[in-house]
Amino acid sequence: MWGAFHSIGRGLLWAVLGFAVGAGGLAIVRLLTGHSAWSFEASFSLGYLGALAGWLMGVGMWERWGRTWFGLPAAGEGPHDWRRYLTFTTDHKVIGIQYLVTFIAVFLLSGLLAMLIRVQMLDPVHPLLDPGTYNRVMSMHGILMIAVAVAAIIGGFGNYVIPLLIGAEDMAFPRLNALSYWLIPPVAILLLLSQAFGGWDSGWTAYAPLSERNASGQVLFNLAIITFGLSSILGGLNFIATIIHLRARGMGWARLPIFAWAIFITSWIALLYTQFFAAALLMVQLDRIAGTSFFKSAAGGAPLLYQHIFWFYSHPAVYVMALPAFGIVLEILPHFARKPLFAYRWAIAGFLGILLMSGGVWAHHMFVAGMSETLLAPFLVTTEIISIPTGLVFLSALGTIWMGRLWLRPPMLFALGMIFNFLIGGITGIFLADVPTDIALHDTYFVVAHFHYTIVGGEIFALFAALYYWFPKMTGRLYHERLAQLHFWLMLIGFNGTFLPMFWLGLHGMNRRIATYPVQLQGVNEVVSLMAFLLGLSFVFFVANMGYALLRGPKAAANPWAARTLEWQVASPPPLENFPRPPVVTGHPYDYGVPGSAHGVIPREGAAGTLA
Amino acid sequence: MRRDLAVVGVAWLAATALGELFARANLYPTIRSDKGHEIVEAFRTLLAFAVPVFTFVLVVLIYSVLRYRVRGQPDADGPPLVGRGLVPVAWFVVTAALAVTIMIDPGLVNLPTVVEAYTQPDLVVQVGSMQWAWTITYPQYGVTTRSELVLPVDRKVRFDITSADVVHSFWIPAFYMRIDAVPGMTTSVSLRPTRIGSYAEDPNLRLQCSQLCGLGHALMTMPVRVVSQADFDAWIHQQARPASGSSPAAPVSASEHGTGGDAR
Repeated sequence: MWGAFHSIGRGLLWAVLGFAVGAGGLAIVRLLTGHSAWSFEASFSLGYLGALAGWLMGVGMWERWGRTWFGLPAAGEGPHDWRRYLTFTTDHKVIGIQYLVTFIAVFLLSGLLAMLIRVQMLDPVHPLLDPGTYNRVMSMHGILMIAVAVAAIIGGFGNYVIPLLIGAEDMAFPRLNALSYWLIPPVAILLLLSQAFGGWDSGWTAYAPLSERNASGQVLFNLAIITFGLSSILGGLNFIATIIHLRARGMGWARLPIFAWAIFITSWIALLYTQFFAAALLMVQLDRIAGTSFFKSAAGGAPLLYQHIFWFYSHPAVYVMALPAFGIVLEILPHFARKPLFAYRWAIAGFLGILLMSGGVWAHHMFVAGMSETLLAPFLVTTEIISIPTGLVFLSALGTIWMGRLWLRPPMLFALGMIFNFLIGGITGIFLADVPTDIALHDTYFVVAHFHYTIVGGEIFALFAALYYWFPKMTGRLYHERLAQLHFWLMLIGFNGTFLPMFWLGLHGMNRRIATYPVQLQGVNEVVSLMAFLLGLSFVFFVANMGYALLRGPKAAANPWAARTLEWQVASPPPLENFPRPPVVTGHPYDYGVPGSAHGVIPREGAAGTLA
Repeated sequence: MRRDLAVVGVAWLAATALGELFARANLYPTIRSDKGHEIVEAFRTLLAFAVPVFTFVLVVLIYSVLRYRVRGQPDADGPPLVGRGLVPVAWFVVTAALAVTIMIDPGLVNLPTVVEAYTQPDLVVQVGSMQWAWTITYPQYGVTTRSELVLPVDRKVRFDITSADVVHSFWIPAFYMRIDAVPGMTTSVSLRPTRIGSYAEDPNLRLQCSQLCGLGHALMTMPVRVVSQADFDAWIHQQARPASGSSPAAPVSASEHGTGGDAR
């Protein structure tokens, strides 16, 4: 056991040392300039920088980078058994599973917080929690779910599947990939630790000036986001390099599986915009600890500036959440309808359209913020227009299932459920894009319903579609079919029952982020809470199924879905190097029904011929 | 294929008809301002457009699942429809036309009316917000109140709003209007109340902070009362008299509130 936790243990130890260096260095400067040695927020921030460096070095950067910097002999390989999941492993398949396990755990934890929120909402007169606690619970639920939405699919399935899908041995930068993952535990620790310092009550959006005046837990939140942003950016870089350079021979861009396209486009968005979230929070941090006044109006700062910078990232962020989900659904439909992906090129054009426009719509979050009225019309226009490329995804999905041979296994059920849910999510967005109606609906439960429909109904359903699709490949085992179906139906009914009434609640005067609400809305809130408990229950069956499958699931074949893409042409789970020999791609991935077509083959040893 | 398309077509028309019936229902809380009527009209129009889009996707989705599902693993592939012909073009054109249409009406067309600011209002109401209470000042009368917002019906009212500390938001659900309250700035909302009423009869006749502002956010409310001009005049007169117990404070302005100050 000592060996298993060696990396993590050393990371923590070096983190403590790094913290001392950072805070100590600041203490010296502070003493020399006539201040007290320690001021919590400033000292913690500098200490954290040292701690992060120490953590990363200790958990594995020393072996993989540090040694070469100092001319020392390279370290040996890490463990090859289950312990490799606890160490700085560069194998993309291990990293993918590390991400998935971590973010599913975070998702379930945040789901418990959601259950707490719904218990609170049962009784507006005698609520469960005091308002301060409620605000902190709601804020934590928000950021944990944002983290899951931004990183679970890309980190989990992007990492695991993309190299396999394109016929590569690993990602372009395997060490950087591991680094992206090991940046995540500090984020989790900071967010949880923040509660010991008063937590933060400004939501995940952390608007200034509130985020400059509230408890010190806000500081840990800011540092967590900056760290998380770094992980996202490095990951984005890695996917771009991988997909550009490591595609198998014969895999031109027009033969790239749609999930790879989705991750590719998403990575550009992550690469370009994530820094703005970090910048906004860095400015809040500096306003708190360094005497700047970016957002302090009394000193010439502008609260609205925070919102512009924040939303400049946070709107494109929703496409970082949605595009991988589109990619998963469009990836799954052809295999389970036994038809080509309909309008493949148009779907890609849709993704590109979203990429190009994603940076031009952010101020629709600020229609009532008090910004100049001249900005209202342009952002209304851009926001309406971006619905056009988004709609092309539906064209592709519907055209694929039309006249297909539909095999309604769990991946397909969740993919179809996603289409239904995102339809509602997308359409309700129109009411928020329209400035007049948005004025009435902004900051109400209508908005809460809209984004839960797109992100939970859309992305999380896609996440489970991907899980049930690639689980046999990743684990070499099959799960229980009936439990998966039960999960699906309970989740679909529970989810819709929870969030559909919220559109009505928002229209009828219930705003967001409130610890109590007008008592005449209690009846509907009670129904919502009951349905939410049903939704929560559905995950119990999911967890039970995972436990069953991992312990007792029957062995999975290489290709239980008879699918054509490259990951299904190798064993379940794949060998370390993925492919015994580099595959050669000879056709489109989804040419079902085209006689004599083949997507790709793994050449026989020494033979020039191919297996069809 | 033709029969499938015909069935889908008929099902879509039927579902749309049903949906449009639903869309005509009065789903809306009592509208108590002129801007509110504009907004609900816009909502209705958008809903009317949304119905056929929703039913189209729903009908195709459900029909496909029911009609094309197979029991067990499929033993043959489906037809290789690739979607490089007219269908995607038609889809693109129709969806683009829809998006542009609603962008113009009820979007750009209604926008100026809903956000117009009165330069010559009948009544100016200054709203000061702070963690976690509202201060209402009627500068034309030198009256300040912290207990309720009283307004005359059918008059042009302009609210000038600011904050003393963090971002709050001025929202009266029954009026369907809101604008954030930002320290260091004055924002404004202009509207005409159209119905007499009180919080006791309509809980949406309240001023509610609509931007998370800390501990007391959920309880940062104030009842609103809309009365006749005569009753309003009487109320103002009563507020201005020292004997009534509420002292007339000087008009609240942004400079007087201060603009937030430093955080630490």
